[in-house]
Amino acid sequence: MGNHIMEEVVGHAKEHAGAHELAWHTSVWPLLMSVGILFLAPLAFAFYFVYQNPLLAAISLGIGAPLTIISIAGWVKEGFEDEHHYSEGHSIWAMPIFILAEALLFVGFFAAYWVLRLTQPSWPPQGTPEMPLLIPIIMTIVLVSSSVTIHFAEKRLEEDDRSGFTTWLIITIALGALFLGFTGFEWNELWHEGFTPKTNVYSTAFFSLTGFHGSHVLVGLAIFLCALIPALAGKISKPYVTAASMYWHFVDIVWFFVVSQVYFW
Amino acid sequence: MSVRAETYTSGFSLKEWIFTTDHKRIAVLYMIGSFAAFFVAGLMAMLMRTELLTPGGTITNNPTNYNVWLYFHGAAMILGYQIPALTGYFANYYVPLMIGAKDVAFPRLNALSVWLFWMGIVLALLTFVIPDPPDIMWTGYPPYSIKTPGNTAFYTFTVLLIGFSSIAGGVNFLTTIIRMRAPGITWGKLNIFIWALMAAFVIQLIFVPILGTAVTMLSLDKYLGTNYFNAAMGGSPLIYENLFWFYSHPAVYVILLPAVGVLYEIVATFTRNRVFNYNGVVYGGIWGTVALSGVVWIHHIFVSGMPQWIIIIEVFTTLAISVPVGILLIGLVGTLWKGSIDFKTPMLYATGFLFLFLIGGLTGIPNAMSSIYIHIHGTQWIVAHFHYVMAVSVTTAIIGGTYYMWPKLTGKMYSETLGKLGFALFFTGVNLTFLPWLYLGYLGMPRRYYGYSQFPQFQPIQQFITFGSYIIFLGALVILISLIHSLIKGEKAPQNPWGSKSLEWTHTQSPPPPGNFTQPVKVDEDWDPYGYNK
Repeated sequence: MGNHIMEEVVGHAKEHAGAHELAWHTSVWPLLMSVGILFLAPLAFAFYFVYQNPLLAAISLGIGAPLTIISIAGWVKEGFEDEHHYSEGHSIWAMPIFILAEALLFVGFFAAYWVLRLTQPSWPPQGTPEMPLLIPIIMTIVLVSSSVTIHFAEKRLEEDDRSGFTTWLIITIALGALFLGFTGFEWNELWHEGFTPKTNVYSTAFFSLTGFHGSHVLVGLAIFLCALIPALAGKISKPYVTAASMYWHFVDIVWFFVVSQVYFW
Repeated sequence: MSVRAETYTSGFSLKEWIFTTDHKRIAVLYMIGSFAAFFVAGLMAMLMRTELLTPGGTITNNPTNYNVWLYFHGAAMILGYQIPALTGYFANYYVPLMIGAKDVAFPRLNALSVWLFWMGIVLALLTFVIPDPPDIMWTGYPPYSIKTPGNTAFYTFTVLLIGFSSIAGGVNFLTTIIRMRAPGITWGKLNIFIWALMAAFVIQLIFVPILGTAVTMLSLDKYLGTNYFNAAMGGSPLIYENLFWFYSHPAVYVILLPAVGVLYEIVATFTRNRVFNYNGVVYGGIWGTVALSGVVWIHHIFVSGMPQWIIIIEVFTTLAISVPVGILLIGLVGTLWKGSIDFKTPMLYATGFLFLFLIGGLTGIPNAMSSIYIHIHGTQWIVAHFHYVMAVSVTTAIIGGTYYMWPKLTGKMYSETLGKLGFALFFTGVNLTFLPWLYLGYLGMPRRYYGYSQFPQFQPIQQFITFGSYIIFLGALVILISLIHSLIKGEKAPQNPWGSKSLEWTHTQSPPPPGNFTQPVKVDEDWDPYGYNK
């Protein structure tokens, strides 16, 4: 800890003494990632659903997915090797701002759900099977536990207990994956009972909200993996972990809205 | 120092450009992308205007072609040109320089923003090569957007890519402004542009996600069979209209606020004067607009069906938002008061804005009143109104702002003669186009029609408007030529050709080196970006 502060002071002194930058900064990853995203989402989706060409969709995914993953890996690596420290300490400010935007995404979907629900002549609409209530309770317990475990991980990191940090991080990731497993199981069950996104307005909202929340859990897990893999190699960025943990707590809080509105109302 | 700077600016390396994380170069990438969108969307406007020369088919007999042009014109002008030009190009160039920072908080995220925006442009340009291109205007209303054979998915993803780019930009720039101001630059001493941009990004962060959900539901409904907008299954297209305008009305302020911010910089510099009513402009004008921006969207859908009491409330909120916007305009006019006005090209654009925006604002008041609005809904009046208030007003700010920053950006001066000629053509063309267009709408010509054989009496006005629009296009070409001319033949620009007091002119050379400032910036207590009267 003491060393860390020392380094920072020396770094600042260097910046001021060195007066100015010597070259244009570059990074190949942003451009590669954006090309990867173009193939991964818009083109693959359009080939599959609009032009009904699964082969081109598969090729598009085959280009997009590896490109995106490689870019993320390269980006994370570059972040650790960065000598300019422009971004240091900013992520704990940036993440709450990003979470504001993310929260509004859910507001949009919830608003649509509420309007749909309150304008129906009767509820639940025709075609809705008996909804499972035990699974969402278990899922809630799993997700809340994962919020606690990531908190433990952060505590360990503050005490400079790196192996403890890694252990709790792995447990958190495992709980998140378990949560997604339950979502998959439940979707599968409902699908077989004939409850699909097309069935009625409730199924529309149900699959959108749980699916959309699930995709956020997936993103949270990806963010954690970007902390775990370098951590196993001995590299940890504390602000990154703090920001990642904020995101995870946010995903947890959103789940309370999803579970209370979609299952228990 | 200058010898060293030469080594940075001379020599072109493609690798250094496309992989750049430097905010100044990212600004140029945004400029190229947004101006390209402007140009192609302008061509679409020319095609539509040419089509309207005769009441029947002029250059096409297929209304779908006209719809595709209309789609591309609207979507590219707003999502590809105006928003990225202001919140990408201007924001990137000015923010770190005005607050004395070396770069933005997250330079790599910044590069991702610009390239995601470019991918959005690529997707939009694919419109011209794919089978069944999107033909749903920039609004994408269901049920048409769901029933059309056109490719609604590309519309959805264009919005999502550019939307994500905006959100990443918002996170980045708000963090930058909060965390990276040079010592001494307090909140009360920020440039108006910085304040306006912060407000624009707050609006983006709150409302862009809502648009994202709306267009996502569109593709879910169309391709996965969900029932959000399917009235037969209990869904409602009104959900889309509300979510869409909940974003798209505030989007007007995302565009307007930074545009006005740039004009404040221009007007203060070229009048050698303080900003009139700084606190009123910042807290009343800029943040007042933000506060009201989310409660006026209903006026776009007055005739879509809703309880009367909501309409009455929205009439008042809509009229109320003209108060903060009025404060912004009065601040601009007040800054002229007792100033020493120098009508260089950027200043001509700024004064042009005052005139164009005044017409835009005044023609908006009847639209706010539901009793009048019912009669003018769906007429060309609305089209002319929002072209005055958004399209051409904001374009004066973008072009004027480009001339203003040009010496800093390129290190070259532009030709005042060409600059003024471009302005004269643009300003004349705009008014020859949109004043008669207002009249056409007042006479009852409906909007979005590719032909008007039911109304042959409008042909002379339509032709007049079309010739006016050709003059705008000519003006745009002269503007483009003047910029290229400057790049090739322009004189070398001094550090501060305008004699501005703002940091980007006083503290760094033209163009600035990597890292922006050769010395860490620190300003003393009586520093003021508008301290001309001290």
